[in-house]
Amino acid sequence: MNIPYRKVALVCATAVLTAAALTSCGSGTDSSSSPASSGGKTLDIAYWNYGPAAESGNKATADAFMAKHPGVKVTLTPVSGENWGTYYANVATLIASGKHPDLMVISGEGAQFVHANNLVLPINSYVDKDPEAKTLLADIAQGLINGFTVKGDIVTLTWGWNDMVVYYNTAVFKKAGIAPPTADWTWDDFKATAKKLTKDTNGDGKPDQYGFTWASNEIFPGIMPWVANAGGNLTSDDVCTATADTPQVNKAVGFLKGLIDEGIAPAPMPMADVFTRFQNGQVAMFGAGRWPIATFLPKFKDFDIQLYPKGDTYKTVFGGAGYPILKSSQNPDLAWEYQKFTVSNEIEEKYVGTPEKPGDSIPSRRSLAQTISKVGVPPLNSDLFYDSIDKYPTLVPYPAPAKYSTFESTVLRYLQKIFAGESSVADGLKGMQSELTSIVTC
Amino acid sequence: MTSSTIRSGAGDHAVADPGSPAPRRGDGLAALAFLTPSIITFLVFVLAPTVGVLVLSFYNWNLLSDGTFTGFDNFVRLLHDGRLLGVYGSTAYMALVILAVNVALGLLLAVLLETRMPRWLRGLFRLSFLFPFVVSASAVALIWRFLLNKDLGLVNYLLGLLGADRIDWLGSSAFAPVSVIVVNSWKTIGFSILVYIAGLQSIPKELREAAIVDGAGAWTRFWRITFPLLSPTVFFLVVINTINSFQIFAEPRVLTQGGPGDSSRTIVEYLYDRAFGDFDLGYASAIGITFAMVLVLLTAIQFWFSRRWTFYS
Repeated sequence: MNIPYRKVALVCATAVLTAAALTSCGSGTDSSSSPASSGGKTLDIAYWNYGPAAESGNKATADAFMAKHPGVKVTLTPVSGENWGTYYANVATLIASGKHPDLMVISGEGAQFVHANNLVLPINSYVDKDPEAKTLLADIAQGLINGFTVKGDIVTLTWGWNDMVVYYNTAVFKKAGIAPPTADWTWDDFKATAKKLTKDTNGDGKPDQYGFTWASNEIFPGIMPWVANAGGNLTSDDVCTATADTPQVNKAVGFLKGLIDEGIAPAPMPMADVFTRFQNGQVAMFGAGRWPIATFLPKFKDFDIQLYPKGDTYKTVFGGAGYPILKSSQNPDLAWEYQKFTVSNEIEEKYVGTPEKPGDSIPSRRSLAQTISKVGVPPLNSDLFYDSIDKYPTLVPYPAPAKYSTFESTVLRYLQKIFAGESSVADGLKGMQSELTSIVTC
Repeated sequence: MTSSTIRSGAGDHAVADPGSPAPRRGDGLAALAFLTPSIITFLVFVLAPTVGVLVLSFYNWNLLSDGTFTGFDNFVRLLHDGRLLGVYGSTAYMALVILAVNVALGLLLAVLLETRMPRWLRGLFRLSFLFPFVVSASAVALIWRFLLNKDLGLVNYLLGLLGADRIDWLGSSAFAPVSVIVVNSWKTIGFSILVYIAGLQSIPKELREAAIVDGAGAWTRFWRITFPLLSPTVFFLVVINTINSFQIFAEPRVLTQGGPGDSSRTIVEYLYDRAFGDFDLGYASAIGITFAMVLVLLTAIQFWFSRRWTFYS
């Protein structure tokens, strides 16, 4: 057979290019995530890559662990997601594609999910056997341990957490001549304050500075603190039954709708937009955990925090995060060491942070969290973060059923209609309850 | 000699059209080599996932546990899904308006851009229209979300200067889909304009010049000469824009989260939520398969109708 040299070369070149393209395609998606094949032990950790802080924080923890454990190779797998719900979905996709991380970062919303799907190795036996664990647990608020306990199984140690507090713009308060709120304020006080802070600054007859707003795209910093302080919750305590149309939930959602109707609050907007509006003074107060601080500092410092105002009761709404060990882990003992390491002094200090580079969660260990104000990380009222879980024993763990993503999107869908005035509060919550009945189950 | 006699009476080398160089030994191998990357890409990234979705639609699978074969259950569920029809309705409403805007307004703008004007101004206009097309849809939607905020957005502020009341662009069922339409059209119309301009420039100038000599006015020249010769371009854009507009995802996701209710939710968003919110991969696949069939049907109808109005010179 007489095949010209040029054609053979062409075929070979094309084959090489094809192979190269496919190879780079295969490895390019997560070249950083292929498990190490060194002689030592390996750990593969999946985390939610919500931004640079997540990447640098996880890398710092992994590097510090490897420095302490020579021969161990920690590989980080960043997983994208627009919120915790989609992050879990993407981790599930990762697992379905054959990858088996040893640990994965989860928030409180994920505890029921990983437990219900039989993904996680409970740490009860480690806690019982390991004396160091007992010391660590004694320094962690009981609420944070309970928040990650499902049917008696401790899903993970919590390295960081957030409770819902009200942020207020101190410059806007000062300009309006209003005293900062105190921890014993009530819904009426809150509403009166918000009303005074709502202003038409450009004289067009319509307000362009509002007293308060809340995140339209999340329940946790959205309606939950109000629902809790009205004495209600969106699910039963065991997260097995929806309770979305109780008088308490009606009262809380009705209160927020009233703020919109009276022109004290603008139409709700997603959290990212709230941050911007708050910093430029268009919104004087909003609710969130500690995470906005990492966005605000070091440039924006005109803010402080206060507990949510008291309704019929006061309850702290909170949620934490941890690194549960997955059942698929090849090195569960090493994974346990890693989990413990995430609540060590060395790592928890990073979550305390510095005034220039603050942590974006509250450290889970009391002794470390109490250093936030001592090292001068704003805001001034930072001690409130841990006090809210230690000194206010009535806690409401964030309701997170196993079908969390569906639960959240359903609640938000009905709230959109209520806050847009297209459905009455009662009818909207009735519809929400009807749909949640089949979603919130055990 | 007819081509049929050539084919019937000769070997490999005789099948070629008269005038084409005769195939040589090794041409097939070279062709295969050139096609291999595309074939592999098609197999791995198009055919395999399509077959996978088809298979999945007959299973109940949540990504984490073993799937169970459920036959046509997922397709039967489609008939009992109380939200699906509404979501199809909102998708069709937004898609058809986006299609109309792209095809009609895109044509108008392209024709205007081809009129006499300074070269720098033409370049500036073209760049302005094309720029949104090359920017990420999510980034565009984020900025629009800020502008369209009811109480603090720039759009309502400007309308307020004209004495208008504030419009709840993102929060009301009436205006949320309109916002999605506006933002998506603003982003995509640059592509339609680009294709139209290419089509317009391929029309021989002599035809229009001859019409001018014959006394035809601008309107007559457009309808009798430009539009018929541009009809294949129009058809191409109708097909492409139909498929693209029915598949929008980023704009409703970022602007309105599909709400309020399902008023601005698209089928792709609904499918995504079933798959990665509910972890109901089987049902999501059934939605995907039926949605693909709807798009194929729409495209087939367009092809059928195109024979009546598309002119290939």
